[in-house]
Amino acid sequence: VLTCIRGGHVIDPASGRDGVDDVFIGDGRIVAAPSCERHVDQTFNASGSVVMAGGIDIHSHIAGAGVNAARLLLAEQQPPNRPAAALGPGRSSFATGCRYAEMGFTTVVEPAIAPHAALQAHLELADIPIIDKAILVVLGNDDFLLRLIRAKESAAALRDYVGLTLGASRALGVKVINAGGAAAFKANVRQFSLDDVVPAYGVSSREIVKALQHAVIEAGVPHPLHVHCNNLGLPGNVETALATIAAGADVPLHLAHLQFYGYGTAGPRGFSSEAARLAEAVNASRNLTVDVGQVMFGQTVTISLDVLRQFNSRGSARPAKWLIVDGDANGFGIVPYKYRPGNFYNAIQFAVGLELFLLINNPAQVLFSTDHPNGAPFTAYPDILALLMDRNLRAEMLTRLPVEAMEMTTLASIRREYSLAEVAIMTRSAPAKVLGLADRGHLGVGARADIAVYANEVDRAKMFRAAALVFKDGELVVREGQVINAHWGRALDVRPEHDASMTRRLHRYFAERYGLTPEVIRVRDRLIERPEPFELVPCRA
Amino acid sequence: MAQAFIDGRPVAVLTAAAEAAKLLAASRLPLVAGLGTDVAGARAAIGLAQRIGGVVDHMHSQALLRTLEVMRQTGTMMTSQSEAALRADTVLLVGPGLAETWPELAARLLVRAPDPRFAALPRRIYWLCPGPRPGLDTAEIAIETIGASPLILPGMLAALRARIAAPPSGTLAVSNGALDKLARGINAAGFGVAVWTAELDSLAIEMLCGIVKDLNATTRFSGLPLWPGDNAMGVLEVCGWMTGLPMRTGFARGVPEHDPWRFEARRLVASGESDCVLWISAYRPLEPEWDCEVPSIVLTSANADFRRRPHVHINVGQPRRDHDGIDWLAATGTLAGFEATHKSAAISVARAIEHIEGALNGATAPPC
Repeated sequence: VLTCIRGGHVIDPASGRDGVDDVFIGDGRIVAAPSCERHVDQTFNASGSVVMAGGIDIHSHIAGAGVNAARLLLAEQQPPNRPAAALGPGRSSFATGCRYAEMGFTTVVEPAIAPHAALQAHLELADIPIIDKAILVVLGNDDFLLRLIRAKESAAALRDYVGLTLGASRALGVKVINAGGAAAFKANVRQFSLDDVVPAYGVSSREIVKALQHAVIEAGVPHPLHVHCNNLGLPGNVETALATIAAGADVPLHLAHLQFYGYGTAGPRGFSSEAARLAEAVNASRNLTVDVGQVMFGQTVTISLDVLRQFNSRGSARPAKWLIVDGDANGFGIVPYKYRPGNFYNAIQFAVGLELFLLINNPAQVLFSTDHPNGAPFTAYPDILALLMDRNLRAEMLTRLPVEAMEMTTLASIRREYSLAEVAIMTRSAPAKVLGLADRGHLGVGARADIAVYANEVDRAKMFRAAALVFKDGELVVREGQVINAHWGRALDVRPEHDASMTRRLHRYFAERYGLTPEVIRVRDRLIERPEPFELVPCRA
Repeated sequence: MAQAFIDGRPVAVLTAAAEAAKLLAASRLPLVAGLGTDVAGARAAIGLAQRIGGVVDHMHSQALLRTLEVMRQTGTMMTSQSEAALRADTVLLVGPGLAETWPELAARLLVRAPDPRFAALPRRIYWLCPGPRPGLDTAEIAIETIGASPLILPGMLAALRARIAAPPSGTLAVSNGALDKLARGINAAGFGVAVWTAELDSLAIEMLCGIVKDLNATTRFSGLPLWPGDNAMGVLEVCGWMTGLPMRTGFARGVPEHDPWRFEARRLVASGESDCVLWISAYRPLEPEWDCEVPSIVLTSANADFRRRPHVHINVGQPRRDHDGIDWLAATGTLAGFEATHKSAAISVARAIEHIEGALNGATAPPC
């Protein structure tokens, strides 16, 4: 069956296309225009619409023990007589897939899964329809790795452990979250920065980050180490982010939700935006990509494996309840939170995110995220895109925020507006590239036919909230912002080679520590009851 | 041995499934209860309830909700069994039933020394109100017992919490000296854990969770609730991601609604609101927990000795014994996959429900 999306404004930064064109789909892939129009079986008229590849979200907490605990912690926040799914963080796995697809997103990465929690995460992901998914597996607070680093084991040993863990947890990449911070918190450390040392292990946060960064490269994983820095959310933490960039950007590095590290200590309240300095550092680092973690105003819930940070922010919980799990390795913390436009600190957080988007020159370096749901639920994306594309809309928004807060930021002075092509880079081609997904994020021949068609509305929020048409693997799944066909997607993973001796070591470790074999936490295809639950992403040779 | 029965007569599984489908389709408010099953069975059962506008409840919901209710009212701090074993230099056991709920309590936590990298000294172990039968051989374990009867536990915990935060006040059934000493002991913990079961009432759990929170102002302490069996936590996780809500959730109005009182299985049966029950107990042949007449479809792991013969009965395999399955693993507090120890031809809960769904579709279920 040959399908044609006819006459839309095709925006495909990877090929440089930005104009009216047709897109052809055959057998789930983008294909070349046929020699004869008679071969086209099915045509969708897209004139007046914008045609892009399906969106790719590199950082969104949509599954795992923490997300599920947040559902249960906030079980009362369920509006009666409304689909439970419509609320904030997307109550059910099923709703998560539908809401993403309606916005034209077709691939989403859950970035924070501990190795022993990977099976549950994949079971949840398997119940998220339509979109393809992936997890990043979290290392850097786990006893086994910290022991390896303390014992100054070889780069090959670290590579093997990372490779083995990626394969067993079926992950697409590796993330480190406040490296060593959760382990230090268990020893009653309350502040932990890049050069602080984890008690009982004698290794610094910096050493952990560097060791993992190199192990990921050695293992041939396309996505560079995904780093959640120390000191998230604290005044003056721009120095931590800058130090992490200085330490790590000699080789590829991804910094997550950079907005939460854009804070200085200037001004009457000792809290100010340092986004301009951070953006300058990003602009100067070609090896570096970041995602933003934009804050939007409203009720949300923060879900993080940065258990130290979550513990320290427990006093700000709204509603006033919180859950801290001192689990194996990182554990996690859940703190519900409400960002309010009248709140000085929240207003600065809001501004810092937009400043980063607008002051980082290359949209391929600044990827789109709200760190869902930590900055805002992913359903806020259309409103953020609208703000990036329209300075008048931003100016209007600023009038609602405290003047003294806006004096601590540069946002009001920024005139830049994102073009649709820049939006496509930031939400399509760039995340595909940084994740190593060669057949996604573009509309070239051979690409997966994940396609979003948007009515080209002046109201950009309206445009991006409800795609006119969405195709997943060439199948029409959304029409006029409504899901019409909810099939099951896959999870993307890498499986680096590793030496069998590391497998034996891990078996010994598990036997001693848990009285179990690590086989019980291995994610095997047949445990995920879907026809083809996984799709292999090749490692670099 | 026959696998399926209608009114006690052996029938083919598909015949039983068709009869079950007929009962469920005719029901005003079908109830899917027991839910003692693995992850695949829970997904199938909750999916079925969603489809037919029924209610889901687990046989251990009451116990789960005691701690869950505290969590969602005030929040709490928790750790895993393995992290407790690795790090805890101080263990505060609270109330009765601990060794019964966690048979490896002594072997994996109490008699084991913490990892010397994290704690230099042997664990200090306190037991607040263990009740008459601690359930373990205390001869080999140095346990300091404070108070006896669990009846005085809420007061003891309140007094203990006051002592942690402020100078002692009030009098109690135990000498203040013992309580003062306990307060000093847990305040001095490097990494302490408080262990309890759902036998405690909600107020005691709330007070205990408050103690754990208060201790963290200066030191590290975490909770280690011992959850009930029959994969209650595994089913809770599944229910969480499928519906956004815990068990005791109903789908009759087209959207999931959670209400611990309205959707309690026992109440729904007693009041007659529910007129058909699908009862699932795959880990042991447990029959429904009520004794009244309601048309029932029962999936159990072997022939149960029923007080009241179910209308439809399907013998299902026991997860992890007869077939592979994913269950809650308490050691790490996550789901884990287990191979069958005695693989058999017994049908799984998931497959039995698939057959029922197939019959609801008016067709036979697809082959494996």
